[in-house]
Amino acid sequence: MYAFAYQKPATVAEAVKLLSADPEAKALAGGMTYIPVLKQRLARPSAVVDLSGLGLAGIGVSGGVVTIGAMTTHAAVAASAEVRRAIPALAALAGGIGDNEVRHRGTIGGSLANDDPTADYPAAVLALGATLRTDRRTIAADGYFQGMFTTALEPGEIITAVAFPVPEKAGYAKFPNPASRYAMVGVFVARGPQGVRVAVTGAGQGGVFRHTAMEKALEKSWSADALAGVATPAEGLNADLHGSAEYRAHLVGVMARRALAAAG
Amino acid sequence: MAEIALSTAPAHLRHGSNSGQPLTRRDGLLKVTGAARFAADHHPPGLLHAVIAASTIARGRVVSLDLAAAMAHPGVVAVMTPAHKPPLAADPDAKTNPFMFRLDLLQNDRVRYAGQPIAVVIAETLEAATEGAALLAPRYQREPARVGFEDATVFTPPAVGVGSPAEVVVGDVAAELAAARLRIEATYETPAQYHNPIEPHAIVAAWDGEKLSVDTPSQGLAMARARIAGLFGIPAENIEIRSPFLGGGFGCKGMLSGPQVLGIMAARLVGWPVKLVLRREQMFGPVGHRAPSRQTLRLGAEAGGRLRALDHHTLTASSTFDDFFEPASNASHTLYASPALRSAHEAVRLDTGTPLFMRAPGEATGSIALESAIDEMAAACAMDPLAFRLENYAEVEPISGKPFSSKALRECYARGAERFGWTARPLAPGAMRDEAGLLVGWGVGTATFPALMFQGQARAVIRADGTGLIECGAQDMGQGAWTALAQIGADGLGLDLEQVEFRAGSSDLPDAGIAGGSAHTATAGMAIHAAGADAIGRLAALATGDERSALFGAGNAGVIARAGRLYRRDDETRSERYADILARAGLFEIDGRGSGAADPVALARYAMHAHGAVFAEVKIDPEFGQIRVSRLVGAFAAGRLVNPRLVRSQYYGGMIWGVSFALHERAVVDPRSGRVMNANLAEYRVPVNADVPSLEAILVEEEDPHVNALGIKGVGEIAITGSAGAIANAIWHATGRRLRRFPVTLEQVAGVAG
Repeated sequence: MYAFAYQKPATVAEAVKLLSADPEAKALAGGMTYIPVLKQRLARPSAVVDLSGLGLAGIGVSGGVVTIGAMTTHAAVAASAEVRRAIPALAALAGGIGDNEVRHRGTIGGSLANDDPTADYPAAVLALGATLRTDRRTIAADGYFQGMFTTALEPGEIITAVAFPVPEKAGYAKFPNPASRYAMVGVFVARGPQGVRVAVTGAGQGGVFRHTAMEKALEKSWSADALAGVATPAEGLNADLHGSAEYRAHLVGVMARRALAAAG
Repeated sequence: MAEIALSTAPAHLRHGSNSGQPLTRRDGLLKVTGAARFAADHHPPGLLHAVIAASTIARGRVVSLDLAAAMAHPGVVAVMTPAHKPPLAADPDAKTNPFMFRLDLLQNDRVRYAGQPIAVVIAETLEAATEGAALLAPRYQREPARVGFEDATVFTPPAVGVGSPAEVVVGDVAAELAAARLRIEATYETPAQYHNPIEPHAIVAAWDGEKLSVDTPSQGLAMARARIAGLFGIPAENIEIRSPFLGGGFGCKGMLSGPQVLGIMAARLVGWPVKLVLRREQMFGPVGHRAPSRQTLRLGAEAGGRLRALDHHTLTASSTFDDFFEPASNASHTLYASPALRSAHEAVRLDTGTPLFMRAPGEATGSIALESAIDEMAAACAMDPLAFRLENYAEVEPISGKPFSSKALRECYARGAERFGWTARPLAPGAMRDEAGLLVGWGVGTATFPALMFQGQARAVIRADGTGLIECGAQDMGQGAWTALAQIGADGLGLDLEQVEFRAGSSDLPDAGIAGGSAHTATAGMAIHAAGADAIGRLAALATGDERSALFGAGNAGVIARAGRLYRRDDETRSERYADILARAGLFEIDGRGSGAADPVALARYAMHAHGAVFAEVKIDPEFGQIRVSRLVGAFAAGRLVNPRLVRSQYYGGMIWGVSFALHERAVVDPRSGRVMNANLAEYRVPVNADVPSLEAILVEEEDPHVNALGIKGVGEIAITGSAGAIANAIWHATGRRLRRFPVTLEQVAGVAG
């Protein structure tokens, strides 16, 4: 293993300063992706800035908004009585990420900053129309995801919390990779203050995306039958040894129906 | 010498305390408590760690390595390269017998497959060696990799498997096909598979002058020792290899591999003991694999289902630099009677490591295609697939016309079908659903595997205190040799198991032959049995020739050995304890030697195979295309079973391997780089418990008087055959769709492109 510096700041401002001062420095949240990346030598940072000392973990609900601190683990979200009451689909999603070990280390902020195209949280954030709070601004979900592993975050910018408006109905269903439990295809459907929104993760080459044809169909009728005639083109979808683009397109339809059933 | 009539009254028939008993593994406690020491558990003083730097290209040359960077890393002791390595006494590319495979031992800068060792970094810690290997940052001169059948020239290999002809023909295939009322032709594809025992190849090597001490897993200790002796130019007696336990072998530890030799070279280079353990991704290259195949079967039959022609053609692949051709078509030699029969093989050469023996080499690969084609023909005849198989039941071996030494396949079909409930199966596909709406299908496959024997030796000792000792360089890969062979040894010596010390797993013991070909119990078992008989015979001679013995003069009547006593065969009131016989003769111990090998006369007269029938139920989610094997019932007949518990475990393992073959395992090669893209156990999928909810193995009794005196056939590989095909056939029965590219994937079943 090669050597690198390790820093653990106590405030957000200090962390931002460390990361901004050194373009080769990299933030560490739960490390569920980043530690393997280091081990595989896919990245070689000058310094690792550990965000676990910033006090960013925690969950609160007020005024129809669920706010989750960036360093809150998946396990904490899954177990939160408040989240389960307000947005049960979100708690269920968190409970289905990775395995038990991953859920106790991995964080919502880390997942969103990494923006893995097969991660679960991006589907929830996009479908629920959540807002990301950072050290310097707020970013709406629609403007945040900009492609595979690509987000609106600036260099050195740190997510501090994610605010989810409570929907009337929401449901998530994914077809997990049998080894990693990442989504081969995951579909999050929601109906709430921002209308009907359908977000698909795992399938798109450009990462999470909204399925506007499904949204239109569900605006008319919130039912699985409404999705019957909605096609999902295979173009632009991922193809790998786990499944072809055509299979993923097929799965988008299946998972959307199952998500809808879960939403009720 | 006293008469010990082995073939008419084998020792284990004389009492029932050892052979035939379902004992648990004698090494079980060591393994569950972690006390069993595997090769990589050894840490001799001064141990250094070696890590292989492996090629990331599949074809070309290594132009440069950053040796300075690696050597500058703290802890790195040496970097072994083509320019800096100990001399070898033999060319690693020489091949003087069919079991000698060419090795990559840094003989030059050439790269002939991805994952080939191109340097070895030796350091004080594993971490430093790992980092040193990464720092080498090789530069290559790259040539295009040949990765698929279309990339290379097709030729007919001189031989397939071990010395089998590439083509065998009985009758007139073309004429019978032309005359047949019904014909089918279908092409099946199987992928490259990698053995992946859970214990990777590992070695701890220590030189003491010209003497070498090695801890490494080996399925063939004597061959490994001879290979090392040849490569390093030292006498075999100077080498001790210890391999008491293997964490699985499946064929990839049959012959000494290149990485194991590199560990020995590294120890020679630095003058300290060295440990080298392959990482999981390094198991996909230099230690063998099962080659891909494209198999075309043409069958012709009468309207009533009687076969007229069976033509099995296989296209397979070897490496560019050595020969191993998966003999898949030979699976059609033994099972179904047909007036015309042809097996043929062609091959290409690809930029891969050399394929090698992988559990049921040829039999497994050919079986899934043959059993699928037989099922297709049965459907074409509108017949129940089991009835169709019975209609074409071979009373003699189809390829040779020889009678079978024994064959209880009808019983296997009947017992398996009854247990499974086969008679309730609707003939038409797509007719069954379960309460959850899943598609349900039932399929059957026939299992077969040759009853082989290699050559082995053993030594048996009776000690002054009446206890015994068996010495035999046998190898336990987890199959239970420590237990089953000791059971045979106890019977051979007429002792209870607790009274017999059993030594195995080390090269200083008599050569027990290779643990492969499902032949180890028969080969080593017969050697042990004969050694026991030899020791008993010598003991009996002492007694029957001594007028002070109760057995004096019993030489003609003969004696029986039982529970530590010799009994006069025709008068069991006259007997004497082993200890008393030895004491009177003033002997500390008496020993016997024995060997095991196939009987050439019996081989010439009989076809020798184990048989079985496997019944599979699959459940398929129509939306996902997800396939679950919900039930597997296998019934197998394989001669006498030394330990039914261990045999059942072997059948379970084989049947699970069948699930893996049909639904999971596949190495995917990147056509651009020639690299295996899924060189890890997350993406190179093997079944987990959830994939195999219900397994049943029925042990069908079978007495075989011809295979060997103990009547033992092999059980280690047969259950893969039949199982994979039964699952494929069940998928057809569930869906009505015949899927011929294995493993069957979700997208194929869901009916979407892939």
